[in-house]
Amino acid sequence: MTSNTSTDLRQAAEGHRPSAASRGVYEYVVLSAAGLFAIISLYFVGSIVWQALPAIRHQGLYLLTGTSWVSGGATPALSKFGGLSMITGTIETSLIAIVIAVVVGTGTSLAINLLLPSWMRTIAATTVELLAAIPSVVYGVWGMLVLAPLVISTVGPFLNSLPGGNAVFGTVVAGQSLLLAGFVLAIMVLPTYVAISREVIGAVPHELIEASLSLGATRWQTIWKTILPTGRVGLLGAGALALGRALGETVAVVLVIGQVNQLNFRPLQPGVTLASWIASQWGEAIGSDQMNALFALGALLMAASLGVSFISTRLVSRQRSLVNR
Amino acid sequence: MTVTIKDAEIREHLRERSVATLRRRTYISGVMTALCWLAITFAAVPLVAVIYQLLRRGIPVIVKSGFFTTLPQQPTIFDANNTGGVSNALVGSLAVIVYAALFAVPIGVLMGVYLAESTSKFASLLRIITATMVGAPSILMGLFAFEVVVQQMHVGFSIIAGSFGLAVLVLPVLATATEIAIRNVPSTYREAGLALGAKPSTTSLKIVLPAASTGIVSGIILALSRAVGETAPILLVIGGAYAIAWHPNQAASALPFQMFQDVQSNYPSLQNETWGIALVLVGAVFIISFAARLWAARKKKVQR
Repeated sequence: MTSNTSTDLRQAAEGHRPSAASRGVYEYVVLSAAGLFAIISLYFVGSIVWQALPAIRHQGLYLLTGTSWVSGGATPALSKFGGLSMITGTIETSLIAIVIAVVVGTGTSLAINLLLPSWMRTIAATTVELLAAIPSVVYGVWGMLVLAPLVISTVGPFLNSLPGGNAVFGTVVAGQSLLLAGFVLAIMVLPTYVAISREVIGAVPHELIEASLSLGATRWQTIWKTILPTGRVGLLGAGALALGRALGETVAVVLVIGQVNQLNFRPLQPGVTLASWIASQWGEAIGSDQMNALFALGALLMAASLGVSFISTRLVSRQRSLVNR
Repeated sequence: MTVTIKDAEIREHLRERSVATLRRRTYISGVMTALCWLAITFAAVPLVAVIYQLLRRGIPVIVKSGFFTTLPQQPTIFDANNTGGVSNALVGSLAVIVYAALFAVPIGVLMGVYLAESTSKFASLLRIITATMVGAPSILMGLFAFEVVVQQMHVGFSIIAGSFGLAVLVLPVLATATEIAIRNVPSTYREAGLALGAKPSTTSLKIVLPAASTGIVSGIILALSRAVGETAPILLVIGGAYAIAWHPNQAASALPFQMFQDVQSNYPSLQNETWGIALVLVGAVFIISFAARLWAARKKKVQR
């Protein structure tokens, strides 16, 4: 908008429309930087898909439905690369993470916007932001050396002692498990979710809140019937953004999930995710057909996370235009 | 008469009911409010817990003599506590981030300027690409860096390959930060420049960019300080070396890389050393981002 008005002003002053020839060196330099990034992005997508193609050709659907991961070594025809455990593991850990992050994050954003005295709001918001400044490998180390023993000694036995606990959660093998990975991921994506949801909740028009309160609604009724419905598109976008982060997180997951390639649906048992499998198999895969299979998992991860990320940006900007209207 | 009695009955009944619902509504509201308080407490617990562990277990490691200045040692069963230091990882981390910055900062800032100033179709397409790339998983940057630098450029496992992965990771972040900083400059600045007869490029370079410089610089610092702690983009391509290396073509180690390796070792002494590295990483990120924010806030005050 700004540059529009200023360009109009300039055009009026000079009395002619700017042509391509009136672009100076500066405009070209800036444009070429932008063009370079566009090329890098295309090349990024292209090169990962390109390296994935041989594996897709040889393994076909087995990449999505198979569960064994065996390298044929010198005879690539014997190689079997199935990604089902990684796909389910990614979905399971991300779901656990997103459920925890959305529940805790929404509560946190509500508390920051509606409950805390104003001088504490910035402090609380900065504290949550600081969670994002801690590198993911630190969370991984913390989860592996501090939380995993806790799962063995306390959390696991407790969940197993619940009625039907063994059947639902599975027995504790090591502390490293799908549940622990989901929990650590929840902490890691919480700042992402809170940053957006805090903005969304803060942008709910005051007239709406006041109208609800003046009709005699309690604080919770105002939250549940007015604030959350007004912000639901944006909150959905925030959740999708956090989901995108959870899908692709690598090093922390490698350290807390146990890295066992098997199909597991019980949260206390170990598993793998797409990203963690790429990182842990990389050393032995380089230069072989296994590397292409890892690129294929990467391509799958890329499709999922870029899709989720694209959707979330759309949702968040739609919420912004809804409120600003 | 009967009608009035009925009225009174109804009124009484309604009053009782509304008192009951009011009591129930207030009760539910109280419980849910308490749950919100619980949520914000729960959100703060991990931060406190992580920092507590970092200080408790990390400080004894970093005060050990030679932690910053000696090369890592492989512990043996005869000398299980001989872990050495992290000098190579320290140098490696600095080298990786410096090369990444040399590549990413100019392109990212210029691209941010384009995003902020252009209203073309390409600009809005690029904005979508940028927002999508910000959410791309960092392990994919590692795969990309391997394909481009290690394979196609035949450089091999090296510092520059890691820098490339980090650069691609921070480029969209830098561009977005620059775009926001420029958009925060009041439009009157630009209009004043144009009204005085300055060319759009001159206005942009001499008026708008200086006014936005504080935001741009603090954006760069924040993005780069976060990038230092990233493991996944460099994990696949940096090679890992037990010697000090800073030449772009050399394989090297880096602080997060060494943490990731050490914590998976079987020696408790090596696992324990990761707390020291973690303390250094987190401490550096916190101090740098705190200083950048403080600096930006003070500059803003002076400008007003």
